[in-house]
Amino acid sequence: MSGWLGKIAKVDLSSGQQEIVPIPADWQRRYLGGRGLGVKLYTTLCSPATDPLAADNALIFMTGPLNGTVMTSGRYQVISRSPLTLTICDSSSGGSFGAVLKQAGLDGLIIQGRAKSPVFLAIHEGKIEIRDAGHLWGLNTQQTQRAVIGETDRKASVACIGPAGENQVLFASILNDKDRAAGRGGMGAVMGSKNLKALAVYGNREVPVANPEAMKNLTARLDRIVDKNPVTGKSLPVLGTSVLVNVMNAHGMFPVHNFRRGVFNDAEGISGEKIAESLLQRQSACYKCPIACGRSTKTNNKQGEGPEYESVWALGANLGISDLAAITEANYACNELGLDTITMGGTLGCAMELAAEGVFPGDFHWGDAGSLSSWIEDTAWQRGIGAELAQGSRRLAEKYGRPEAAMQVKGLEIPAYDPRGAQGMALAFATSNRGGCHMRAYLIGPEILGHPVFLDRFSTAGKAEIVALFQDISALVDSLTLCRFLQLAVGISTFTEMLNGVTGLDFSDEELLRVGRRIYTLERSFNVQAGFNRRDDSLPPRFLQEKLPEGPSRNRVVQLDEMLDRYYAIRGWDGNGVPLPQTIETLGL
Amino acid sequence: MIDHTELSAHSGEKKITQLCNEARTFGFFAVCINPVWVRTASEKLQGSEVVVCSVVGFPLGASTSQAKAFEARQAVAAGAREIDMVINVGALREKKEDLAGSDIRAVVEASHPALVKVILETCYLTDEEIVSGCELAVAAGAKFVKTSTGFGAFGAFPDHVCLMRRTVGPDIGVKASGGIRNFKDAWRMIQAGASRLGVSASVAIVEGLSLLQFAPFAWLEDEIPCHICPSRYASLDKQPKAVYAYYKKKCLTCRHLDMYNRFYE
Repeated sequence: MSGWLGKIAKVDLSSGQQEIVPIPADWQRRYLGGRGLGVKLYTTLCSPATDPLAADNALIFMTGPLNGTVMTSGRYQVISRSPLTLTICDSSSGGSFGAVLKQAGLDGLIIQGRAKSPVFLAIHEGKIEIRDAGHLWGLNTQQTQRAVIGETDRKASVACIGPAGENQVLFASILNDKDRAAGRGGMGAVMGSKNLKALAVYGNREVPVANPEAMKNLTARLDRIVDKNPVTGKSLPVLGTSVLVNVMNAHGMFPVHNFRRGVFNDAEGISGEKIAESLLQRQSACYKCPIACGRSTKTNNKQGEGPEYESVWALGANLGISDLAAITEANYACNELGLDTITMGGTLGCAMELAAEGVFPGDFHWGDAGSLSSWIEDTAWQRGIGAELAQGSRRLAEKYGRPEAAMQVKGLEIPAYDPRGAQGMALAFATSNRGGCHMRAYLIGPEILGHPVFLDRFSTAGKAEIVALFQDISALVDSLTLCRFLQLAVGISTFTEMLNGVTGLDFSDEELLRVGRRIYTLERSFNVQAGFNRRDDSLPPRFLQEKLPEGPSRNRVVQLDEMLDRYYAIRGWDGNGVPLPQTIETLGL
Repeated sequence: MIDHTELSAHSGEKKITQLCNEARTFGFFAVCINPVWVRTASEKLQGSEVVVCSVVGFPLGASTSQAKAFEARQAVAAGAREIDMVINVGALREKKEDLAGSDIRAVVEASHPALVKVILETCYLTDEEIVSGCELAVAAGAKFVKTSTGFGAFGAFPDHVCLMRRTVGPDIGVKASGGIRNFKDAWRMIQAGASRLGVSASVAIVEGLSLLQFAPFAWLEDEIPCHICPSRYASLDKQPKAVYAYYKKKCLTCRHLDMYNRFYE
């Protein structure tokens, strides 16, 4: 069938055994690929009781039917149970790894077991070779990628972990194609727990496309749509994702000092505009991407990629740090060591708040840019106080008796949007299946950027419907394994057109949205079985009780309960957030 | 319903070709372009139902009537079936109805058999002047009145569209244009009485529409009236002093002021 190669491999690192996993005929239609098919596979292989860092846990690398064909189709998804949150988790990354994995002959790869000693996998022509990685253990992600490319193929795309993953830091990430990261949820720790240092993929296999002429016309149209869209055509290419610094600050929802304030006085100095004029070397783009939001940057001491908006906030304003060079180098360090910048910054923010209150023994002060890189280094190697930071903010705050100081949902640190300034975004954070994440439903689109239309950000009316819709669309796009920035420019119909053009099938918009809803509900069902319920669909008390002190979001708190009941009703879940039997049945789960 | 529009100074043949392709693909009513591209667009759209619409006296409306008529005649000869002319805004504001009316009539006559839409450029007008402009256009034989060029202080607002519809009645078209960027903007204009939309973000509107079918009521929740009121966008830099003062005065006496004054914090 066009689009899919029909080949998902499974490797048991304990025994070295490999097999091709047979996929039931209807799964591709019902779960597509990427996140959807990955979650479906995961839930059949592992139970909600599986220890994320145990050998029997599965780590799944998945592509979707569009990888290697249309714009932004270089992405891939990593699916497993998160050691940080204990929810089901998928983490997405850009670059070209997803496209090259298919060119190497696989739709996806399931990894179970634990190698006796460090290994890496070389994947080519649909075959998987397990190679020794003892000499790579301890190398950072950049060194690892260079070494693995040297040992395999100069055109190989490499996904790997750094020291943080090796040391099973709970928010370790997986890096590929230099600095693209599957950042959230600690997928790097799962990889490290398997003694798996890297995956190298290379090959020239063409991905079959059912209707090349239709795809050519669609691509020409998409180029213009993306180019004409003010966000994908101007803001992101010119200023990168950090264009949001000034935007969010102007709305009074750019979190400062662990979300105690929403306006950062030094925002201009760490903005996308400032990065463009002081650090930017060139734009960088993922596979077949016309947007090119990536930033290749250089400080006086180092060069690398980023920082992205979330990172410049997490390692900057959130900690009261306005030294852009220090933030940028801290971001480089996170990339090299393999750490999620959002959770790193969120955890440091929590530590600083605890220290300011005198309940935390570390020498942490707001605005201490000089210590930033050493804290990050200590965390990756689990040295000294770093071993406590390596557990994430929730465990840290609980240990010191102040759980409310952790700005997290379900254990995952909330990113750079103060939910008090956007009620829909607040609901999206609270109900996200993988915890405090902006990517499950990016309500900043309608509430701040006006895409597809402006919605009143302080109103709760209609937000439950929109959050559920966006979550379903996001699950869909993650399963097609395309970049979510495309969502800012195109609607569901275009995704349907892409899928039908590549696969030759006849999906309707409604069917695709139902696929998204099915995936979201499947994830929810797994979480419910793992013990999550309404209690976990909440936000830190700060957002529900403490009003923002200043700025355009002044005096606001989140009105969560009134939205949550409506959200459950729309989802077909009971009052405790458990999918009702008829919902499960309707979605064919 | 949609005039797929590309009127920027820097548009070249490549963009016009793409515009025509999109109009064919999505079935837009017309492409609205500068006169220099009318022949090109007519050729590109041969065999399709998409109409070519040219602007005249654009964007200031300050050319002589003869120049506007000549421009219109040439556009029609090149294949335009609709002409969007800009009214003599200065004459209208000074209540020189004869001058403004004869200007429109000259273009209507020169454009035959193409239909003429009269752009009032509402951002420079009070409500009274908008009514007067509509009446002049209808009397001069125009088949449509249109809100804006997209180059003025602001574009279309539902209040203005509603006023224009009330003035011209059901038999004359009302085209809303300028600042219509998404399906909600479009929906508002249609609700207010627009029978045609001039949009450069037409494809984005269609893309967005595929979301509207899901959770429609949530997307179309009532919103703060100030967000869609011309008074909020009045600008002393961009508008005549008297018009600016007119809109600000409306704002101060607005019935919504008490409820929504939080937006003026």
